[in-house]
Amino acid sequence: MALLEVEDLQVSFDTASGRIFALNGVSFSLERGEVLALLGESGSGKSVTASAIMDLVPNPPGAIDRGSIRFDGAELLQLSRKERRDLCGSRIALIFQDALAALNPVYPVGWQIAEMYRIHGRNPEGGVEKAVIDLLTAIGIPDPERRARQYPHEFSGGMRQRIMIAMAVALEPDVIIADEPTTALDVTIQAQVVDLLATIRKRSDAGMIFITHDLGVVAELADRVAVMYAGRIVETANVFELFEDARHPYSVGLLASQPRLDTDDDELVPIPGSAPNPVALPSGCAFRTRCPRAEGLCAEVIPPLETVGPGRQAACHFPVSPA
Amino acid sequence: MNQPLLKVENLSRHFGSGATPVRAVDDVSFEIARGETLGLVGESGCGKTSLVRTLLKLGPATSGSAVLDGVEITKASGRELHELRRKMQVVFQDPYQSLNPRMRIDRLISEPWALHPGAVPKARWREETVKLLESVGLRAEHADRYPSEFSGGQRQRLGIARALTLNPTLLVCDEPVSALDVSVQAQVVNLLARLRRERNLAMLFVAHDLAVVRHVSDRVMVMYLGKIIETGPKQSIFSAPAHPYTQALMSAVPTPDPRLRGHRKRIVLEGDLPSPANPPSGCRFRTRCWKATSICADQEPGLTARTTAPGLLTACHHADPETTR
Repeated sequence: MALLEVEDLQVSFDTASGRIFALNGVSFSLERGEVLALLGESGSGKSVTASAIMDLVPNPPGAIDRGSIRFDGAELLQLSRKERRDLCGSRIALIFQDALAALNPVYPVGWQIAEMYRIHGRNPEGGVEKAVIDLLTAIGIPDPERRARQYPHEFSGGMRQRIMIAMAVALEPDVIIADEPTTALDVTIQAQVVDLLATIRKRSDAGMIFITHDLGVVAELADRVAVMYAGRIVETANVFELFEDARHPYSVGLLASQPRLDTDDDELVPIPGSAPNPVALPSGCAFRTRCPRAEGLCAEVIPPLETVGPGRQAACHFPVSPA
Repeated sequence: MNQPLLKVENLSRHFGSGATPVRAVDDVSFEIARGETLGLVGESGCGKTSLVRTLLKLGPATSGSAVLDGVEITKASGRELHELRRKMQVVFQDPYQSLNPRMRIDRLISEPWALHPGAVPKARWREETVKLLESVGLRAEHADRYPSEFSGGQRQRLGIARALTLNPTLLVCDEPVSALDVSVQAQVVNLLARLRRERNLAMLFVAHDLAVVRHVSDRVMVMYLGKIIETGPKQSIFSAPAHPYTQALMSAVPTPDPRLRGHRKRIVLEGDLPSPANPPSGCRFRTRCWKATSICADQEPGLTARTTAPGLLTACHHADPETTR
């Protein structure tokens, strides 16, 4: 049994211009010790997936219309609010993208990390204070005793992101969801945070869902990748297979449009057009209006996510043939 | 005839007075030739945007000079400044904030012609607007719409079309693609490359994405804490950088190739950017540099030619294309 299993998840939001379906039947699973990257561009549904797992979909306007999220055998969508809140933070933890917004500006960071233990009624060995100092040391904050008493504004962006990570791993959760944790950071700081996350995954057997739009970070950190487009998963594959021989035309297009630092590439090959308006998705396959392989069938039938090889799936009527 | 289009000498931009002003741009010199693209890279707070704003005269220079096509930008005012603005135009980072939401596209595009009478006669505005829209990959009917009806990538195309209305010789692009998704970013990068060829445009291309900069630039300049610490042709900068900071910057960029995971030499810098109000003595990078010795604290290194790569200038006492870390 997988650690976390999401099945046929549909999430919608009421907006001024009509009901939009942010997730249109998303299914994936996460194993222990695995890093699964959710890769997609803005509006593809990556962050909504994280919100749904963490019970953070604002209701109203949002609602989970159908589907299931099973964690360690239990159906999360059937738990009471209290039971879910208890799980969140202790067994499933979220690292937010914007650490400055996620931290409380009027409390010292040490107090905020300690709050994780207080709220969940834990008594770490040696006391909460020692646990906080140990965590700060582990995430590479120099002079932790003094820094624990400082406020979020006294830290740089990279340090604040480290503190978010410390809070997320404090109670040794089984699932860590990282929502674009390096996007707002400069490259040299991003490298530090990616290294820290790689260290954390080596030390624990937690499963990690890594949400990003950055192919480079995916290549550095992920074991498996689920590519999202317009509220669906369009391809899943292990990271090597995806980069070497992607099957879904969108994945292929995404890889070709990425400039590289290590080669003088010729002209980039962009994907024509732009992501569809979620209020008026094209009929059939949502990618067909930008797809070089689209045919009549694509406008009529939504392609299901089907197995295209061992451990890999693609949702396409005309997938790219194996390299 | 070999006069550079833009010649910047010892340009500084300090904020605040008193004993410790923030030295956002500090004694910077460089040139851009006609038709050339100069990439400017550096992390947040290094002074990229302050430099751009000073060049566009959106803020005063503290000292130094910047000459565009024979005209001193830092001293220009009135009529002269008005003419200068015709020659240099800017594409901003945020396509959502840089277009007036209440202006129809035809007015947005033709506004510069209204401000510069004589550029294009009014009778031809519509025709020229359509031509511009088509040259950036939009269509004639888009002229009658409002910015809210466009996607991010399309808005950036509009921003580019508007920057081209007065046929500038220098286009300053301040993070023009960083707000865009990867698939759309490639469209805009290709568009800029094509326009540049067709119009012999010179560009100052500011970005923090090194891969994009490598793709579009002829030459590249790396900034750290208000100083240019290394500059040269892109082949030299990207294949044999000699400044430790450039090396660290490049090694930190994740490569989109999982096979290279763990095989690449990664230099992870310690610590954060020091405050530009109180930069370290001597070399400003020394507090994070693994090669720093006592000379680095005493003497500020100047940009010096390297023999290891053609055209490379590096400001480092211990410059070496071989990373010793």
